[in-house]
Amino acid sequence: MNAFLLHLWVQFRMDARERGTLLTFYAVPLIFFVVMGAVFSSINPTAKETLAASMSIFAVTMGAVLGAPIPLVKMRESGVLRAYRVSGVPSRAVLLIQEVSAFFHLLLVSAVIFAAAPLLFGAGLPRDYTGYFIILLIYIFASIALGLLIGVTARSQSMATMLSQAVFLPSLLLSGIMFPASMLPKPLLWLGRIFPATHAMQSFSVLAYHLKANYSGALALGITACSGMLAMGIAVWRFEAAGREELG
Amino acid sequence: MAEAAIRVQGLIKRYGPTIAVNGIDLEVRKGEIFGLLGPNGAGKTTTLECLEGIRKADRGRMTVDGCNPQSDRKELRRRLGVQLQSSSLPDTIRADEAMALVCAWHGLPPRFDLLRDFGMEASLKKQYHALSTGQKRRLHLALALANDPAVVVLDEPTAGLDVQGRAQLHDAIRALKSQGITILLATHDMAEAETLCDRLAIMIHGNIAAVGTPAQVTATGRGETRIVVRTINGSLLQGCDIGNARFTKASEGYGEWMCSDAAAAVIDLLRKVQAAGDTVADLRVERPSLEERFLELVEGGGQE
Repeated sequence: MNAFLLHLWVQFRMDARERGTLLTFYAVPLIFFVVMGAVFSSINPTAKETLAASMSIFAVTMGAVLGAPIPLVKMRESGVLRAYRVSGVPSRAVLLIQEVSAFFHLLLVSAVIFAAAPLLFGAGLPRDYTGYFIILLIYIFASIALGLLIGVTARSQSMATMLSQAVFLPSLLLSGIMFPASMLPKPLLWLGRIFPATHAMQSFSVLAYHLKANYSGALALGITACSGMLAMGIAVWRFEAAGREELG
Repeated sequence: MAEAAIRVQGLIKRYGPTIAVNGIDLEVRKGEIFGLLGPNGAGKTTTLECLEGIRKADRGRMTVDGCNPQSDRKELRRRLGVQLQSSSLPDTIRADEAMALVCAWHGLPPRFDLLRDFGMEASLKKQYHALSTGQKRRLHLALALANDPAVVVLDEPTAGLDVQGRAQLHDAIRALKSQGITILLATHDMAEAETLCDRLAIMIHGNIAAVGTPAQVTATGRGETRIVVRTINGSLLQGCDIGNARFTKASEGYGEWMCSDAAAAVIDLLRKVQAAGDTVADLRVERPSLEERFLELVEGGGQE
């Protein structure tokens, strides 16, 4: 079997054994979805319309931004990366395997939310299913890229946790997934636009649900995709530079 | 003379203003176990990392099985097996998965036979975090051999192991030598170096302070040989120097002398016993140990 595919398969099996991964990628987002789905749909019936999208954004942001960086930092701190390197495992492959495995988990949990939201809370269905899933795939990619960037930038696990929270909390509060972004004061509205979650929510609203929004859905999707590619490019560059730095 | 498996010429490595390795020359012959000893910060690990191709040397030439570790890392991965001093694997990876994965990246079928050879048959399905320290070391050693290397670098492979684990790993290292594999072993354990290594080098402050077989290294320097004798009538216990041997103490019927020329001193002692009409009941000649020689070098800052 191809080394990359085997490594990916082993990574999936390791993830399935790792309690932290299961909690971050599945348990907490799904519990949040059930609780918050019930709350949102009862206090703000219009939130029902895009509930699947907003809850998917929450799950993906949580898994990618809180879940993806720590394993990377741990691998570097514990010497796993060095052990891999002397065993002939390419550094880029390690990063790519983290990206692909996280992508798979987040896609799975998003699919569960997409299927369960209408059944549990009477959530609205997208007008454009293809658009919905394209946006979802792009947002998952962008979020994981951001998570990996945090993972390769942070020098320690505590720093990674701080950086993750600094991205996760504003993504949650300012992106319009918990309450309409139009309710925010202008500075916070603009601050929210730093985060891909805001643009992903905008893209879902306009392109998948055909709702009115502040700016073009295509532009929002383009920003989401570009921020993902930029984060991924910087993450790969930082990862390789950090390897060179470490090795002097 | 045997061909060199590892050759280092004028290796220099600096970390900012600190010189970690100061222009050392080193040659490891094919099929031997070569020990690299030195106190913490002597430059052992830096030297090994330069040879492993994971650290860039500032100056100097190196070859590992004919391959330049600084410029030809792909080829190096085929010829060299490495067990790092501080390495780990993901907590939830199983021993058999780790082996399959490393072999796959080398483009080889899984070498589960190596895990069995290292006594890990019962632990194949165990996750890394559940392995004992000894099992982890053996797993890393097995992974280092997955590509069937000609040269293996072991950086303190027995650190933290209990006596049994250490003995098992020593047997494994000897077995590798019997297969013709060249082993470069960095260790703090003098007894390990003395019993395992064909030749060794002592590194101090980035320089090679001594190199040779354990016997050659211990024979140099001012380390004196200890001679302990017990005779039936105790004729030597009066406490006098004999020839070049300096009397140091008498205890429980034994007399002890220190000397630089053991052969001459033993002859002189035996003559003295004979002249006194006495008979030797016990005689021991103890060379200075590698540890004593090592400490002598370290205290002298690597200078003779």
